[in-house]
Amino acid sequence: MSDYSLDSIDTKLGEMLTNSSHMFDLSMNCLLGDTNLDTVKENLYSTDKTINELHRDVRRELIVHSAVNSRNLDVPLLLAYMTMSKDIERIGDYCKNIFEIAETGNSFTKEAEELENFLSLRDRISGFIVNLQTCLSLDEKDKVQELIASGAEVGKEIDEKITSLLENKLEVKYPVATTLFYRYLKRVILHIVNAATAIIMPTDKIDYIDE
Amino acid sequence: MKKRPVLNILLAAFFLYFFLVSIKLLEKGIKTLGAEYTDQLFQSVSSPFVGLLVGTLATVLVQSSSVTTATIVGLVGSGFLNLEYAIPMVMGANIGTTVTNTLVSFGHVRREQEFKRAFAASTMHDFFNLMAVLALFPLQLATGFLTKISINATDAIISTGFTATKPNSPIKATIKSGANFVVDFLSRIPFIDNLYQNSYRIYAALLIFLAIVFIFLSLKNIVSNMKSLMLNRIEFGLDRTLSKGGGIVAIIVGIFITFSVQSSSITTSILVPIVGSGILAIENAFPITLGANIGTTITAVLASFAVETSDGLTIAMCHVFFNLISVIVIYPIKPLREIPIKLATALSNATAKRKSLAILYVLITFVLLPLLGIVLFN
Repeated sequence: MSDYSLDSIDTKLGEMLTNSSHMFDLSMNCLLGDTNLDTVKENLYSTDKTINELHRDVRRELIVHSAVNSRNLDVPLLLAYMTMSKDIERIGDYCKNIFEIAETGNSFTKEAEELENFLSLRDRISGFIVNLQTCLSLDEKDKVQELIASGAEVGKEIDEKITSLLENKLEVKYPVATTLFYRYLKRVILHIVNAATAIIMPTDKIDYIDE
Repeated sequence: MKKRPVLNILLAAFFLYFFLVSIKLLEKGIKTLGAEYTDQLFQSVSSPFVGLLVGTLATVLVQSSSVTTATIVGLVGSGFLNLEYAIPMVMGANIGTTVTNTLVSFGHVRREQEFKRAFAASTMHDFFNLMAVLALFPLQLATGFLTKISINATDAIISTGFTATKPNSPIKATIKSGANFVVDFLSRIPFIDNLYQNSYRIYAALLIFLAIVFIFLSLKNIVSNMKSLMLNRIEFGLDRTLSKGGGIVAIIVGIFITFSVQSSSITTSILVPIVGSGILAIENAFPITLGANIGTTITAVLASFAVETSDGLTIAMCHVFFNLISVIVIYPIKPLREIPIKLATALSNATAKRKSLAILYVLITFVLLPLLGIVLFN
């Protein structure tokens, strides 16, 4: 017999990730492709609202679960769910930030040198979101560890790009927008990695992959 | 937590049987005392008002209206108590049972806003039950309407031929053999056998004491096993209520949860942290509490299957009708149903600023006033 509310929370986290993945693809296509922003905007913001509502549902269900199971409460598990849902919710927010870069008139389709890197990052991060969803449903420690390691690796890669931009070692057409874009991508990656740490790590070590 | 549903079902069934055997033991203990002695004892509870206060205080002490009402059924079934005094006791049990969730609300005392909501959620149950007693107790004294309805309902149930109500039913016979087994077992203990031979009244008192302890233990175990079994459904029910709001659905959820776990305190205590955290409005929690009042009446009905006379079923039906009528009369009328919520909110606003008021409220309402009333009016 499984736990009704924990199963329900898992399902809701899965839905949050599906929506996050959708938002990520939409916002990246706006910046790296020639998607019409007006046609996408409403979809993007309503999807974010759906994620926020799912996030609140998760919190409500956690409270109900803790009230009903007060004598046999798995506190670390509930804290893990709490932090995981927050991390997933933040992915949607950064996707909106990425969209806003495109909305201010920046388009990276002509950034010939970086476009290839951008596209590669898009595909890898998109894959990470899907992997996180798989990790949530399968609960396989090796897969989660692999996701954390490769996510951290991509994070470092982005950090190096940001450092190069700050030191003027990387010439791009829109330096501010590109720096912000890399910064947002790093935040997306880190939230995916943090959510993954909540699946397998002890409560005190969640979010701290470097230490 | 490891889930063992089959074991939970078996244990719940065993403790339900043990609960019924305990009621029978109580009946046996009282009969052993003898009619002359019980009449003398009974005369000491001299008015229905004292009965009301005894019911309140007894429930506060055992923290369970189910234990009190089941014991009252046993007392009525054995002829120790008559309906005139037992009905106010059942009403008192309704008042006393609300102390449990009020105590639960003290867990939120460190956060003012949270405590305010939690205390209001718990005390609205107090105010509703007080209001119900204020409305129905004088009416019962003046007209005996609850007695009449309950006797008619008992007759109607008996006329259906329902097995458990027949004097020689297999259910009653099984319970009786269980009680005889316990009595035989006790008589093998030399000390107890000596009491039985030489001082039957002390023996009877011991039997009554053991029966009440067994009622308490068996109910506690029924509740914990049923709660383990029903956790998922309870959460599902509460989640549905959160998404749908209050109303009839919430009353049904309250009935269902309480019926499943055999304890209104479990239902109302679960609500306290949910309202305290702010995710369920007190107005939406209120009907769940009313449902809990109705759901908890099943325990007395079950207990009535163990006793020999039909009065046991009648007092159980009184409990059912008292709670049903109070909900039917108060809940549909908005200004009436708002009274307990408004009173609870006002009290929680005051106690949030001065927490000592909350402790005073509990002590005065649930301990001092009933004690004082018993001393003054007995």
